[in-house]
Amino acid sequence: MSKPIQDSKFSKQSTQIEHDDAGSILSPLKALQFFMRKPVTVPLEPRPAADNYRGFHLNDHEKCIGCSSCQKVCDNAAITMVKVPHLPEDPVKGIRNLRPAIDYGRCCWCALCVDICPTSAISLSREYVHTCTQEEIDSYFILPDETGIHGEYYGEGWQKSVDSDLLDLKRQPMTELDPEERIDNFNEIVSGYTDQQAVLEASRCVQCGMCHDACPTHMDAPEYIRSIWQGNLEEAVRLIYQSNPFSHVCGRVCTHRCEDACSIGRRGEPISIRWLKRYAMDSVDHQRIKEIAAEGKADYLSGKQVAIIGAGPAGLTAAYDLIRKGHQVTVFEARKEAGGMPRYGIPEYRLPYDMLDRDIDVITSMGVKIQTGTKVGIDITMAQLQKDYDAVVLAIGLHLGRSTRVPGADHSQVFKAVDLLRQTTDGEKFKTPKQAVVIGGGNVAMDIARTLARQQKQQFGEVKVSVTALEDMAHFLADPVEIKECREEGIDIYDARGPQECVIEKNKLVGLRTWKVRSIFDEQGRFAPAYDEQDERIHKADMVIEAIGQMSDINLLGDDLSEALEWQRGRLSIDQQGRTSVEWLWAAGDCVNGPDVVHAVADGHRVASSIDEWLNQQ
Amino acid sequence: MSEGHQSSYDTLKSKKSLAEILETAISFERTARDFYSDLIPKVSKRIRYLVEELAEEEQHHFDLFTELKSRPDIDQQIHTLVELPASDKKFSDAILLPELGDKPDDQSVLQYALGREHAAMEQYHALAKSSPDGPIKELFLFLANEETLHKNQLEKLYYETIHSGGV
Repeated sequence: MSKPIQDSKFSKQSTQIEHDDAGSILSPLKALQFFMRKPVTVPLEPRPAADNYRGFHLNDHEKCIGCSSCQKVCDNAAITMVKVPHLPEDPVKGIRNLRPAIDYGRCCWCALCVDICPTSAISLSREYVHTCTQEEIDSYFILPDETGIHGEYYGEGWQKSVDSDLLDLKRQPMTELDPEERIDNFNEIVSGYTDQQAVLEASRCVQCGMCHDACPTHMDAPEYIRSIWQGNLEEAVRLIYQSNPFSHVCGRVCTHRCEDACSIGRRGEPISIRWLKRYAMDSVDHQRIKEIAAEGKADYLSGKQVAIIGAGPAGLTAAYDLIRKGHQVTVFEARKEAGGMPRYGIPEYRLPYDMLDRDIDVITSMGVKIQTGTKVGIDITMAQLQKDYDAVVLAIGLHLGRSTRVPGADHSQVFKAVDLLRQTTDGEKFKTPKQAVVIGGGNVAMDIARTLARQQKQQFGEVKVSVTALEDMAHFLADPVEIKECREEGIDIYDARGPQECVIEKNKLVGLRTWKVRSIFDEQGRFAPAYDEQDERIHKADMVIEAIGQMSDINLLGDDLSEALEWQRGRLSIDQQGRTSVEWLWAAGDCVNGPDVVHAVADGHRVASSIDEWLNQQ
Repeated sequence: MSEGHQSSYDTLKSKKSLAEILETAISFERTARDFYSDLIPKVSKRIRYLVEELAEEEQHHFDLFTELKSRPDIDQQIHTLVELPASDKKFSDAILLPELGDKPDDQSVLQYALGREHAAMEQYHALAKSSPDGPIKELFLFLANEETLHKNQLEKLYYETIHSGGV
């Protein structure tokens, strides 16, 4: 801060100019005193200025992620984002190889670019002189780096400080049920944002769009966040539905890659993009959502018919897109109800099924027919589908659980997590174990552990569930929030334990024997477990649940079609559009790209686009 | 029969010539190759790549071991007696063909292959340990290393296949 000037000769009164005063007649003579003196001129070479001076831009290319926040905040349009090919680019990690170039013909040195920069990469230097000839006029347009405009570092002038930082680095807290409130029921844990919280959270967004790049289905998150901030929730829903018809689901259980890429997360807490989506979806009347989703739907029928196998996020997203384009769509679902893994793999305390039903209702209201309880391969063959439909989509998910096949794993008290979760959803009774051990460290392991914990609390008044995983805590596959909440609910987690045997005495399961895992990955990061056989532990249990991996039930394809199809190391071989080697068959979702709801949505869009293009050529 | 005689008999029984050991190793690779080759048309096309790769790997080992046996430096040592390790029985058992059923899945095939590679790895390590320094020890160390590398590859594949969502 500069000090106020105290000298009286610089006071307001004394600096008033008498314009009519021509001065003394001796003035010209007085001027002669300067004759022959060496002229005092300011040199045009670069030179440093005051400590907090707003000179030319500096940009730390290592810190800068190319988010373009500086460009967006600049009122003078003085900043252009320039692609620098040799710099890294990784949308999933929130890194673009763009860097800001400054046009000093426009820049007013307001330093808003510095004040908003999420990474603190930009500052202004203490160097402030630049001049050139007409031929070098382009030198006023520069790509600043760490050294400064003339390649000589004069130190930083104006830079981000706590006072000048325009970012709000703390996210709005989410209200959740306390462990003791939730452990004996399946009520939804997360409450959702209030109107005020949502607007405050939305106001933190700098509209950089890193989230859009990272999202598998490229949701227009900056745009719907802006609409939330403006209070236009119907517009937010409209923008959401442009890329995601599973928005109630994704607003609750999305893996939110967008938040990992959020530029605010570089120094603070990323924007709660998932919770904002949930807020928008929950705030608009369901009937109105259906009307918004139907906007732009084709008002004609193409005469083409598409069969989709599997009513999960991939299959129903494809159905949604195809019916919008005028094709008739029938979805065949083997289970009692539509929804796929979100219904049969995710417990209701994370995803209330009435919210899933709303997403499905929007899709069926557009005209998509879903035939539940119809098993392709048994009730109808693939050959029949090929005959009756113009195109077929395979979106069968990963509904079969893998087994460790350690000794004793075939005992009747050893279960697979996906089977128990399905039984829970379908309301099928199974005997709740008094003491259970789960094998696995992913989200499915956490889901079944927490489901059993709730059942135990309801029936026995206490929780006795343990989770054992090969991975150590640093490499756990489950979401950190899941791990935290598991522990809050009284579930014991034993990391780095390798299952050796389901211990059986007198035909009764009594526990799981594990060895300590000394290391699990080799230097290339691939699986190569090494055990400490001396560190053995028996985890007492009357039920062991395996949650180690899942696979697709491809028996529905039949031998002939399986032979006709191309496979790629155990996966169905598909092209970039999701089309298999058989002309009429596409595949999408978990069965080809692994388990992830928002990836499945993206897959659904991809195959629908490919099918539509193909059908239009027929 | 005196105790001394018994001891001499046991010692003789616990040793085999290098030629016999290499023949057993070659037989080990041959039976595995044939086993996997026969399995190829039986398994689902989805996992056929796995069985094809295993058959190729065993063929590679078969060729390698056959070539080693005929190397001049090994040929000179071919009648040398080598003490058999405790793992020999397990190794010999692994030559026998398993019962994987008509249509084994990928996990059964991988578990069988891992078991074989592990038995072979242990066998060659033990043989190397009981052999004096020289070309025979080096040979066993080389074989042990080959089997270890293959076992490590299979373990990685096992984890990626069984523990990672199946795709």
